[in-house]
Amino acid sequence: MILKPALRKELVKWGFLLPCLVFMMLMAVFPLGWSLSLSFTKWLGTIMAKPQWHGLNNFRDIIFSDPRFWADLGFTMRFVAMAVTLELGIGLGLAHLLHEPFRGYRFFRVLFLIPMACPPIAVAFIWKMMVHPDVGIINSMISAVGLAKVKWTTSTIVAPFTIVMVDVWEWTPFMFLALLAAYQALPEEVYQAAAIDGASKGQMFRRITLPLISPLILTIVLIRTIDAFKLFELVFGITSAGPANSTEALSYYIYLTGIKWFNLGKGAAMSWVFLIILLSISMFLLSRFRKRD
Amino acid sequence: MRSGSSIIHRRSTGGWILLWVVLFAFSLWTIFPLFWAVVTSFKFTGDAYDPTFIPWVQFKPTLQGWRFVLITAGERTFRSLKNSIVIAFFSSAAVLFLGSMAGYALARFVFRKWKNKDIAVWILSNRMFPPVAVLIPYFLIMRTLRLLDNPLSIIIAHTILNLPLGVWLMIDFFRDLPRDLDDAALIDGCSFMGAFFRIALPLVAPGLVAVFVLSFIFSWNEFIFVLVLGFNKAITIPITIAGALTTKGLEFWKVATMSLIGVIPVVLLATFISRFLIRGLTMGAIKE
Repeated sequence: MILKPALRKELVKWGFLLPCLVFMMLMAVFPLGWSLSLSFTKWLGTIMAKPQWHGLNNFRDIIFSDPRFWADLGFTMRFVAMAVTLELGIGLGLAHLLHEPFRGYRFFRVLFLIPMACPPIAVAFIWKMMVHPDVGIINSMISAVGLAKVKWTTSTIVAPFTIVMVDVWEWTPFMFLALLAAYQALPEEVYQAAAIDGASKGQMFRRITLPLISPLILTIVLIRTIDAFKLFELVFGITSAGPANSTEALSYYIYLTGIKWFNLGKGAAMSWVFLIILLSISMFLLSRFRKRD
Repeated sequence: MRSGSSIIHRRSTGGWILLWVVLFAFSLWTIFPLFWAVVTSFKFTGDAYDPTFIPWVQFKPTLQGWRFVLITAGERTFRSLKNSIVIAFFSSAAVLFLGSMAGYALARFVFRKWKNKDIAVWILSNRMFPPVAVLIPYFLIMRTLRLLDNPLSIIIAHTILNLPLGVWLMIDFFRDLPRDLDDAALIDGCSFMGAFFRIALPLVAPGLVAVFVLSFIFSWNEFIFVLVLGFNKAITIPITIAGALTTKGLEFWKVATMSLIGVIPVVLLATFISRFLIRGLTMGAIKE
């Protein structure tokens, strides 16, 4: 049978796209839908128990009588804000300083790729040895110069910053390299024209560089923010969410509730609350940056 | 990299010194944890807690850690290594297969009813939700399919995880190709399939390698899905690393050695595709 070319084109077009869409429907949309329907049920303790209709009780429970959820959300948001700000700040500073071609650029680029290529759980465990309060190398060096040891993982005040520090170690190079690439794509002529007009370096940075790279900054901040919210391995490895839950990330609590304690209904409800919060934050970030254009 | 001096690029001697000091400090900070892991992996149990750096001079090096990980506990190590490779390989192959086809469709054809851009954004939005949001349904689905503790369940999970990235990068790579090439092939009587397999795919070969290696790395590194879906048979390297934390506490030499086994292969791979890593991590927003 000979098909008309137009029809054949339609068939080919959908034939190419559909496998991917169908797979995503089955393994991404369907699970999310299932988790939504579970969130209205009470399903606790064992897989043999039957899920029972629970209405909005899970959500009411989370929102009104689960201070741990809100404390974890607070920690997660503080962590994301601090980590992403520091990574962007340091990355931008480094890119600004190092954007000129220099000898060995390729070598350093490969070097700086290492932290983000490592398995996060390996990063967590390597840092866990380093920040060990008694025998870790960092405290050994600190006490060698005569200062007091820092309670990296044993103080509820310091531990959240320890997690931020490791995330900054892992992801600052990403911000730096991405911004470096953006710097190198900046149009030369504009700067020459600005220099002829007598613009200072500060003016050039604020008036030319920043506006030109701000769409890219939005993109990488958004990517980092979304990824930072997924914080799990660092907390799992370095502090096991301690001390006194001071570094318990939201995803860790959801994991504990849904998988470890097998409270499937509440776990599903929590993950939906988390999802909605994450979506609103991304939307907020997007609209904030849109306004500036 | 652009060459030549320019206004934004002019630098004094003081500027050069500052550049190298900053570069050196940042490199030291970046590499120190891995350097420390390497040093610790060659130490005896007792020495592992000392702040010593230089083998033979400050401490007596030993292969005790490596011997333990590769021989004494070798069965578990190699089982997880094999799983990690199998899972990363097959999930990346699936990403490549589904991603290059969808990427080609979105780069080359016009979807009128649902705009191409909307489809692409919808695909990307699947990468935004945290894995933890689908852990429970995944656990239930894989239990129903009797795939718990089976590498296949993790292959499926990792394919979903990396597919948005694959599609987006492939759209990008296909758009970079001059359109005339496959148009010419079509006029010459090539079928659509022929144009795709014989003309377009070979031309984006570097892109295919980049997508494969990137999703291989991300699959290798992934932790949560394996933690929930694998118990014993289907464990991967990250789980084995986490297992180095025993009831005896943190045995530094063992943790360091085990972590390095997870780190070394992906760092080598990342070096191999260093040009594409940032492009991949920014979903194609940056082209180096």
